[in-house]
Amino acid sequence: MSGLGDTMKNLFRNRWHRWVNRRIPRSDLQFFSQKNIFILPTGAGVVFGLLLVIMLLTGINYQNSLVYLSTFLLGAVFVGAMHQTHRNLSGLEVTLVQPGEGFAGDDIPFRFRLRAGRDDAIAILLSCAESGHAPVHVHSGQVLDVSLLVHSAHRGYLRPDRIRIETRFPFGLLKAWSWIRPVSAGVVFPRPVPAPEAFSTVEGGEASAQSRSVDGNDHADIRPWREGDLSQRVLWKRFARTGQLVVADWEGEQGSPHWLDFNAYPGADHELRLSYLAFLVNERGKSGARFGLNLPGQVIEPDSGPAHVARCLRVLATWGEERPRDAMSEPHGTRKRSSRTLSRVITEGRV
Amino acid sequence: MSLLDRLRGNGAGEAHSALATSLPSRALLWLIGSFALLLTPQWDRLPLWLIAACAVLASWRWLAQYGRVRLPGRWLRTGIMLVLTGVYVATVQGRFTVDTAASFFVLAVGLKWLESRSVRDFYVLFFILVYLATVNFLFHQEILWALANFTGIALLFVGLQVLNAPELPGGMTSGWRRLGALFLKTLPVVVLLFVFFPRMSPLWSVPLVSGEARTGISDTMRPGDISSLAQSGERAFRVTFGGEIPPYRDRYWRGLTLDYLDGETWRQGQTEDFRALGRVAVDGGVGPLKPEEYDVLLEPTDQRWAFALENSRAVSDNVVEESADLFRFRRPADSPVRYRLALEDTAGPGEQIERAELRRYLQLPGEGNPRARELAGELRRNMSDEQIIRSLMARFREQAYFYTLRPPAMPDNGIDTLLFDEKRGFCAHYAGATTFVLRAAGIPARVVIGYQGGEPGAGGDYLIVRQYDAHAWVEAYLGGRGWVRVDPTAAIAPERIESGLREAVAQEGSFLENDWASPQRYANVALVQWASLQLDRINYQWQRWVVGYQGQSQMDLMSRLPGGFGMRELGYLTAGIVGAGLLVAGLISALQMRRGEKRSAFRRVVDTWHRLCAGAGVPVRHGETPSVLAKRLAEAEPAAADSARLFARMVNSHYYSAGTEDEGDGQLARMHRLLATMKRQLRRSNSRTGRRRD
Repeated sequence: MSGLGDTMKNLFRNRWHRWVNRRIPRSDLQFFSQKNIFILPTGAGVVFGLLLVIMLLTGINYQNSLVYLSTFLLGAVFVGAMHQTHRNLSGLEVTLVQPGEGFAGDDIPFRFRLRAGRDDAIAILLSCAESGHAPVHVHSGQVLDVSLLVHSAHRGYLRPDRIRIETRFPFGLLKAWSWIRPVSAGVVFPRPVPAPEAFSTVEGGEASAQSRSVDGNDHADIRPWREGDLSQRVLWKRFARTGQLVVADWEGEQGSPHWLDFNAYPGADHELRLSYLAFLVNERGKSGARFGLNLPGQVIEPDSGPAHVARCLRVLATWGEERPRDAMSEPHGTRKRSSRTLSRVITEGRV
Repeated sequence: MSLLDRLRGNGAGEAHSALATSLPSRALLWLIGSFALLLTPQWDRLPLWLIAACAVLASWRWLAQYGRVRLPGRWLRTGIMLVLTGVYVATVQGRFTVDTAASFFVLAVGLKWLESRSVRDFYVLFFILVYLATVNFLFHQEILWALANFTGIALLFVGLQVLNAPELPGGMTSGWRRLGALFLKTLPVVVLLFVFFPRMSPLWSVPLVSGEARTGISDTMRPGDISSLAQSGERAFRVTFGGEIPPYRDRYWRGLTLDYLDGETWRQGQTEDFRALGRVAVDGGVGPLKPEEYDVLLEPTDQRWAFALENSRAVSDNVVEESADLFRFRRPADSPVRYRLALEDTAGPGEQIERAELRRYLQLPGEGNPRARELAGELRRNMSDEQIIRSLMARFREQAYFYTLRPPAMPDNGIDTLLFDEKRGFCAHYAGATTFVLRAAGIPARVVIGYQGGEPGAGGDYLIVRQYDAHAWVEAYLGGRGWVRVDPTAAIAPERIESGLREAVAQEGSFLENDWASPQRYANVALVQWASLQLDRINYQWQRWVVGYQGQSQMDLMSRLPGGFGMRELGYLTAGIVGAGLLVAGLISALQMRRGEKRSAFRRVVDTWHRLCAGAGVPVRHGETPSVLAKRLAEAEPAAADSARLFARMVNSHYYSAGTEDEGDGQLARMHRLLATMKRQLRRSNSRTGRRRD
């Protein structure tokens, strides 16, 4: 029975969501009016209604005119509050100014700009799924920026399906709400995972890398050969000169010095590789080192500086992902996305 | 970054409540203020310990808000609850009335203060305080108390606003302003509802009788009872006459008769059995008063008796006439009652009663007061009934009897002591003694309890009868004439009957000597007298027209409207009013909204631009940014490329700059000019391409 009930509930909810989505098209700018504001009593409002009924019964039973009067007065206040709550939200203009960036698993700040219309918009609350922020007040004709944290599940584009804008002002007996369904998407970087030792497999890159850095002797450490060291790492020139078998060891990891390579982690899952790379990009960014990024189908030449780091992270985030199009109404970056599309995109990326 | 503070909870509502786990102080202040205000109408009804407990509990909560003390933990809280409930049960002693229930309600509100931590608790307090105001209305309907109650409710709503927007600057004044505007806007609907909402009869009956004694006459009379009543300046009832107000000496308001002397105490010989004998007019209690009619507004007495002048008949159907020309309500007057009576001509023979019935009015205790019996025997010997009465009155008039509010104690054979030794007493003493002597002389007699007198209210159009007008007198039965009023007080102190108690005890200075607060005590100060009478007039009108607006008044009002309104029509009308009110409100808000949209000139410019684009074959897509639209327009119509790009930049700068509104005017003008240019360019290019096509 409960299964059937759940099905019915889901059916109803889907239908409702579809209806709402039709009513509120995706847009980075949302103007709230009668067309898209919903209003219902809160729990307190329902109790208030019951209280009015009890008061009316009291008035009838004790034939008390003043109880009648106060019942009507409070009822009228309730209806008036309905209009006030509605007006509190209507006329408000919400713009998504800046979709945020951040690492997967973190809360990504989205910046919204609220512009109040003719009426004050008091105690406005923005929320998305599980996060919200303190109510803000925007007075008539004024503008206020608000950051909303949106939880990200995994890397890629993050476009929340709906962001709820709610107000319960003045009395909390009614809530008026609506949604903004942004077009623009935030970018979620792969969650950094400490990278294991990498085995450089970049053909051609290895030789050039070796010659470049070893000749410069920039960051190299020389240490005696051990069992298991790759023969490519052995400094044969020095062996020829001195007869010692030494190996060049670079700071950081044992791959190519400037290049962070997608193919350096054979056997690891694609997403995991991206996470390793994100970790390394972060590390390099902190130390200020030069590095380049090598992804299948996308190469970023070595550089340094925060802009470069951000660019690399963005590339890691969106590699193999498709920017959500306006027409697509499914949410991006939320947990519901199927893994099938993901794998398809990755195969494409490899080609 | 404080806005970014992550909140736990599921969804916005949870986040909202989680934020305010510690309630905003100002909101709490309003709530406590409202509690204090709503408690005042109850001060005379509640036991003192309960008021003290409520004050302590509310202060505790208030101090806890500032961290001075901590709110009690669960065990202490339970302990306090148990103790207070125990005290309550001990006080109530098993009586269950609305009054005790109301006290318990107050106790519950008080205890809730210790458990007010969350927003939810705040709302619970809000609801019970609103209902506390309702309960207050059951007990007090005077205009000042009503104002206090409504103010209390208003405080609650201001508190709610503060709760919902705690850090809003200037929230308090704007809260009052918002509430005031709301009140004014909804007032017409409230008034219409009040007038037209059908007043149904009670669904079930829980009497409102309070356990406490009220000031007022009772159904037993011991010597001294009424003199204690004479120390109260409280109002008993108010009367409006349709015709002329009868002279002071005829204002005898009969309440009940006592016919059984039990030692020193007069009581009712038989408990009143309900007999609906009197004529009952179904709908006579409303409309203008006819000359012979008078309209009484009685303060609650918790008793069924109604006060009436002699020779009255019932007009309104809430009073019925009982046997001895007395009037009774159908149920105890636990709230102010308005009823209407009419004076009848006194012509015609008096009531005749049977011999057996008369024996009731001759009852005397077997022994006691021998001298009084002796006096009666003497009188009986050589006089007729009427002569006996006249000579007894003459005795009171001529001998040195005194009318006093400070009678001496007369423990044994009180009537003898009064008549022959002390000769000092109050109306109750003399009424009792006279009845005793008359009965001893074989004349059927009874004590009548009620009020005598009444002073005019402001404007002189109605009478106010107060508790100190309480009076006891005698009625004797004379064959052929029926019951005849005999008032010994009139013989001893005629000024009491002619102008009231104040004059009668002026020399003694004992008028309201224990009631310092009563404005009647200071009646010689003209201003006090004037103010008190004006207030009384306002209250009287308030009680007659607002508080007293019940079924009959409503039906009367409706009967004056065209179209014969009945209960059912009223129901339809009420539904209509509610519907129309909602509709009008909706229309107004829709109009305002449209005006608001119109006033947003910026949107209008953008809309024009969108139309222009659509006309040029580049319809706006959903969620398209202005620059993208401009780019597409430029591709389609290269002639307008520059102006389109510039326009898009202006739109962007409007959206994405936190600018003020005043810079907008110049900007808007520029945008309008740009649009005009764009339109020209498009037209020109269109005509050119058109020509080419030709």
